[in-house]
Amino acid sequence: MRWLPVALLALAVACSPAPEPEASAPDPDDAGPLVVYVVNEPLRAMAERIGGDAVEVHFPAPADVDPSQWSPSADTVARYQNADLVLRSGAGYDAWIDRATLRERALVDTSAGYADRLIHVEDPTHRHGPRGEHSHGATAFTTWLDPTLAALQARAVAEALSTARPDASAEFELRAAGLEAELEALDRRLSAMAERIADEPILYSHPLYDYLGRRYGLDGRSLHWEPDAIPPGPQWRALEALLREHPARLILWEADPLPETTRRLTELGIESVVFAPCSNRCAADWLAAMQANAARLEAARSPGRPIR
Amino acid sequence: MSGPAFLAWRYLLHHRIKTAILVISIALIVFLPIGLRVLVDQSARELTARADLTPLVVGARGSALELVLASLYFEPEPPEPISQREFERVRRTGLVEAVPLHLGFETRGRPIVGTTLDYFALRGLRVATGRAMAVLGECVVGARAAREFGVAPGDTLVSSPQTVFQLAGVYPLKMKVVGVLAPNHSADDGAVFVDVKTAWVIGGLGHGHRDLAEPGADADVAAREGSRITAKASVVEYNEITPENLASFHFHGDVGDLPLSAVLAFPPDERARALLLGRYQAPDEAVQVVRSTAVMDELLETVLTVESYAVAAIGVVGAATLATAALVFLLSIRLRRREIETLHKIGASRPRVAAVLLSEVVAVAVLGVGLAGLLTLGVSRFGEAAIRRFLLS
Repeated sequence: MRWLPVALLALAVACSPAPEPEASAPDPDDAGPLVVYVVNEPLRAMAERIGGDAVEVHFPAPADVDPSQWSPSADTVARYQNADLVLRSGAGYDAWIDRATLRERALVDTSAGYADRLIHVEDPTHRHGPRGEHSHGATAFTTWLDPTLAALQARAVAEALSTARPDASAEFELRAAGLEAELEALDRRLSAMAERIADEPILYSHPLYDYLGRRYGLDGRSLHWEPDAIPPGPQWRALEALLREHPARLILWEADPLPETTRRLTELGIESVVFAPCSNRCAADWLAAMQANAARLEAARSPGRPIR
Repeated sequence: MSGPAFLAWRYLLHHRIKTAILVISIALIVFLPIGLRVLVDQSARELTARADLTPLVVGARGSALELVLASLYFEPEPPEPISQREFERVRRTGLVEAVPLHLGFETRGRPIVGTTLDYFALRGLRVATGRAMAVLGECVVGARAAREFGVAPGDTLVSSPQTVFQLAGVYPLKMKVVGVLAPNHSADDGAVFVDVKTAWVIGGLGHGHRDLAEPGADADVAAREGSRITAKASVVEYNEITPENLASFHFHGDVGDLPLSAVLAFPPDERARALLLGRYQAPDEAVQVVRSTAVMDELLETVLTVESYAVAAIGVVGAATLATAALVFLLSIRLRRREIETLHKIGASRPRVAAVLLSEVVAVAVLGVGLAGLLTLGVSRFGEAAIRRFLLS
């Protein structure tokens, strides 16, 4: 019978209690400023403007990268995972998020409120494997160049911040109203400028100005010219052919083109104007940069200045 | 110790094997029905605890039990799929925290669960080593699965189709292990977690390949007609997602149409729960919302019915065992006739001899019942932990 205590002890050891499941990590919602990660400069500016001291805004894309083409490292994605809010620009701008794992609860698509106003563009279809013909689809994504859409985006930012921090919603609302008023003023200014341009054909260095063109009824055609490179001969010949059916005298650039490009365009009677989308770091505040865009366009088409 | 008791004790010690067999037989007969009841109660508590933590499950119409078991325990056969749009629909109600689940694939015999980071937060899962998955192709392994596979962050796992009938169209994807979960003593310990988008890539619904619009891709292009490109069958689709090819991965068509196995819904209160249930009551509703606790309670009722049959069977076996034990004692008395006569000759009275024999029976019964009590105590003390460790993990 001496085995009995040993057997009971063995049973006790075998069934020794397992540790209790770990408790979930505390929600950081109520501690310190709201940590907000964004995907481009306009959203950074809006979140900082509306959130004030109540938010801590992060935009970790390198300054020399186009955020729409950015693919953050896994470590950077891990930083986004820890955010209280991740503000998406939507419209396919932040495609990297579709390949990343983020907390669904933290994600806010700031374009959701104007999904029916997005511009879909043609994209090559292809066929391979058993899945048949398909297209990867494309949507024009520089929505903020239409100030009315930017105002809706600002409204979405304010609502997201208010949902996350209801106690500060009054101050968010106040600041959002101020930003919306400034965007309305910008819209009026650009509308007045568009009346001066009227039906004049213009060019865009890249297909970035779909929303600007639609909002103000601009007759624009897009090229694929890089401001930091002199276009090769075939591109000049293609431009000359285009000018025969679309006699533009103005081209909008996302950044200053090289002097040689400007000179050759001037020889063709085309004036270069920078209208920066400012999707990454701007030299000035984002809204100030938008105002500067309007000012450059106004200067190029001032009432006393004849169209060449 | 009195004389009869001493003699009985010495007899039992002398015939220790026979005594041990009798004690264990009586102990098991007493312990089995009681221990079974304790274990069933504890298992019921454990099963309903996971169901309590997952109040509502949204899935395709059909067997509610299969839907709940698959969603809570990642059963090998996934329920009929619903679309990602249903997940968005639940989310948009604003009534609950919603988590998508994609089941149906496995790696080395363990289920691959496609979900979001919110699953970890709502289940209280913690990454013990490494980090959570961050991009397509990464996975986080449950504690038990990691131990079985011998994998750690930096290793890789290859997905495999869950049934032989899924050989076509299902990608063997080489997944990078980026984290191992702390033990949770639940079905999560044996699972491999990926982002739901990675599960779609495994299912062949998303893929990465070289940009066919590039002039350099001519070798892979069979024909170009305007904006229409037809690729050759030889076009290489990546079976491992690396930082270099990550950007080429994409999904076809509307992401809202992509499949999910279920959506777990976590309402903050009874009102939200009732409101969500109410929104899925239309007769033509394609999906169902089930209360996992109600489904598990129904299952447990069945288990309790089975248990009552088992207890009845144990009762019959117990009666037979006790009859056998009585027979053993009676035969023992016949075999010990010479020993009993000797006791009479040296002056022991009949009652005294009877007291010795009775003491033996009482001692065996007390030892048997005592052992049964210890076993029951052990089960009630450690049963829940054992169930979590050996059955639910």
